[in-house]
Amino acid sequence: MASSNLPSLWSGMDRKALAIGEFTLRQQRKRLSTWVVLLVGVAAMGVLTMFYVDAMTRDYEAVDNDGDSYDWDNDGYPNGQEQMHGTNIFDPLDHPGLFDPPIAADDASDWINEDDFDWDALEEGSVGVDDNGDCDTERRTESQKDANGNGVPCDIQIRADRYGQGTFTIESDGNVDEDPDDEAYALEAIHRSFVLAIGKLGVVFLIGIFVPLFMATGLIRNEMTSGTMHFMLAKPIARGEVFLYRLLGFYALAWTYLTALIAALALVAGLMGPGDGLYRFEDLGVWMSVWLASILAITVYGMLFCTLGVMWKHGMVLALPFAAWELGMILTTLGAPDAAILRFSVIGWAMNIVDAGAAMAWQDTPLLIQMGLWGGGNEALEGAEALNVFWSTPGLGLGALGTVVVSVLVLVFQAVACWLLGSTLFKSKEIE
Amino acid sequence: MMPDFTQQGAGEPTPAPNAPAAPVVYFNGVSKSYGRIHALSNVTLGLSGGVTGILGMNGAGKSTLFKLLMGKLRPSAGEVKLFGVDPWKNPSPYAKVGFVPEHEKMHDWMTALEFVSTFARLHGMTRSEAKTEAARVLDFVGLSDVANKEIGRFSKGMRQRTKIAHALVNDPELIVLDEPLQGCDPLARTTIMNVIRELGKLGRTVLVSSHILSEIERITEQIVILHQGKLVALGNLHAIRERLDEIPHTIRIVGDDARSLAKDILSHPAVFGVSFPNETELLIQTYHFGQMHAELPRLIVENGHNVHLIDNPDDDLESLLHYLAGGEV
Repeated sequence: MASSNLPSLWSGMDRKALAIGEFTLRQQRKRLSTWVVLLVGVAAMGVLTMFYVDAMTRDYEAVDNDGDSYDWDNDGYPNGQEQMHGTNIFDPLDHPGLFDPPIAADDASDWINEDDFDWDALEEGSVGVDDNGDCDTERRTESQKDANGNGVPCDIQIRADRYGQGTFTIESDGNVDEDPDDEAYALEAIHRSFVLAIGKLGVVFLIGIFVPLFMATGLIRNEMTSGTMHFMLAKPIARGEVFLYRLLGFYALAWTYLTALIAALALVAGLMGPGDGLYRFEDLGVWMSVWLASILAITVYGMLFCTLGVMWKHGMVLALPFAAWELGMILTTLGAPDAAILRFSVIGWAMNIVDAGAAMAWQDTPLLIQMGLWGGGNEALEGAEALNVFWSTPGLGLGALGTVVVSVLVLVFQAVACWLLGSTLFKSKEIE
Repeated sequence: MMPDFTQQGAGEPTPAPNAPAAPVVYFNGVSKSYGRIHALSNVTLGLSGGVTGILGMNGAGKSTLFKLLMGKLRPSAGEVKLFGVDPWKNPSPYAKVGFVPEHEKMHDWMTALEFVSTFARLHGMTRSEAKTEAARVLDFVGLSDVANKEIGRFSKGMRQRTKIAHALVNDPELIVLDEPLQGCDPLARTTIMNVIRELGKLGRTVLVSSHILSEIERITEQIVILHQGKLVALGNLHAIRERLDEIPHTIRIVGDDARSLAKDILSHPAVFGVSFPNETELLIQTYHFGQMHAELPRLIVENGHNVHLIDNPDDDLESLLHYLAGGEV
């Protein structure tokens, strides 16, 4: 017998896969509930994005941290300028204008945000430069110039904390990097916070869990309840295949949706975010890790919820406590990304991917957080607390790339395990 | 093995001379129970070729029998074989089977053509093959002019025919129809019955269930009767009927004057009793059902009676079952 035109096992399989996948996709498209779920997701992300757009277009008050823009004696010279030249800030008849040659008065705004951060690493040692020269003045004694006692005048000393991993003690000699650009810092920190927050909590968690909760739990169960599963199961196709192909149809929709949603968010945030160019290309690595994490998370959740639906008529009741568990886990990743309990979740592994992606794309974020929290020796700068909350060091201690590889493998393993469990349950299920 | 009715010379390998051919459908001591409810008990049955009617009241176990055959349920005891293979967890024999489930729910958003061709693709057909085959079977059940309409807008009969078309798309050797006539209008009933008879003539093995005796009678003579999960009769309906003639039967007549009608009829030798539920109604007890029916019109016309209705209240499945169970009507 000629075997050339005989359909092979594989061509038969992918014909069936395509038939069921296509059928499932069209079925979802015809359902109002699908559109409601997807639109609610878009609306939720849209509202969060509006807060972000507002934060990006708002004016940030430039705070004069050290108060040296004031002119207490009303002689026209800001306190900072007078201090630098050694004149009395309380005596209107003593100011640099009386010098020979006289020095012109600075505008008060020159003494706000006049001394930005000059360090570019979180390394132990001496950092910081007194940009405006208000530390190294003749008026100050040597011990005032070296208040942190490290032997270097007018610098900032960073010490790694002995007990807290990744935390630092920052001691300034005073008047060094004391008045950073509040607005520049706030925009950068809030932008990064938003990308991390909407990526982790919004896309990976909320969309990743709620879309399959409403759309995958019934993939098999609804057909069993309505009796339409009889049509499919009377055909020469294994139930494990039906289970998988139904999910493939769901994934075709879910993955496209996630990709479009993330692309839209990346576009808006890339255009609105602070930066010199038109678009913030440096964020793309983070968005790609959000995309990878959300695709994998929705894959595992889809398999799991479909399995729960097969397990029990009210699969949703089983899925909800699990979703609550995952919520607890994502909150844990924000505070304790290396907690061992996170290994027993889906979201913990997905968060690892986003954290690792962010660590690769924005390597200076820990520095940015430490600077902002120190804030020139006064209170924390706007945006620093938020960035500190949403940023986490990848929890596996394997380096960023190793974390991504291991997390991807674990998530794929979880999806496969759920598929095996689900199709085994489905195979031994009696269909009324 | 099925006889080769179409004389096309099936390309199947011939079994070894001494190997007994497996029947298409084989139940050996099969029981199915849900806790303390026995849906099917100790059914033994082998069927190959031709149309077989599965008769039984609601809950007699017809659907359970079919679901066991289609691998939807696992037998509590005994063995089920479909083309010689256990169908539980093994979908391979379904390549040669078409199943019309009893469930009314369908995918209403699809057109008939989409519905049939989608499931045809699960037989491994390509998209275009599936479309061609779907069009062919929809034509066979007489739905070619509405093939591109949504199922949601179909009548009950059209839906049933769509389901039948979906089951025929792989040109199956065995077709299982669970209550295909239920809820259909008379026209759809006739079409479906013709389709089933046609399939029988083509040499297919057809199982069709119903709880209405007259329906099955119009389709086939070979019947299986299930009652309370037990197989109570298997064989030719006419043979069963003839024996049924020898037991007392009731004929109900509704006319203007039941009492005067009774006077004229009582003289007939086949009648052994009459009763009057009300003024216009007469119930006749007879041992010779066929003879009585043949002569009743003459008796009525000759004596000038005005009759509105002649009915056989016990010529149905229920009385047949009573008779088979205990010999009394």
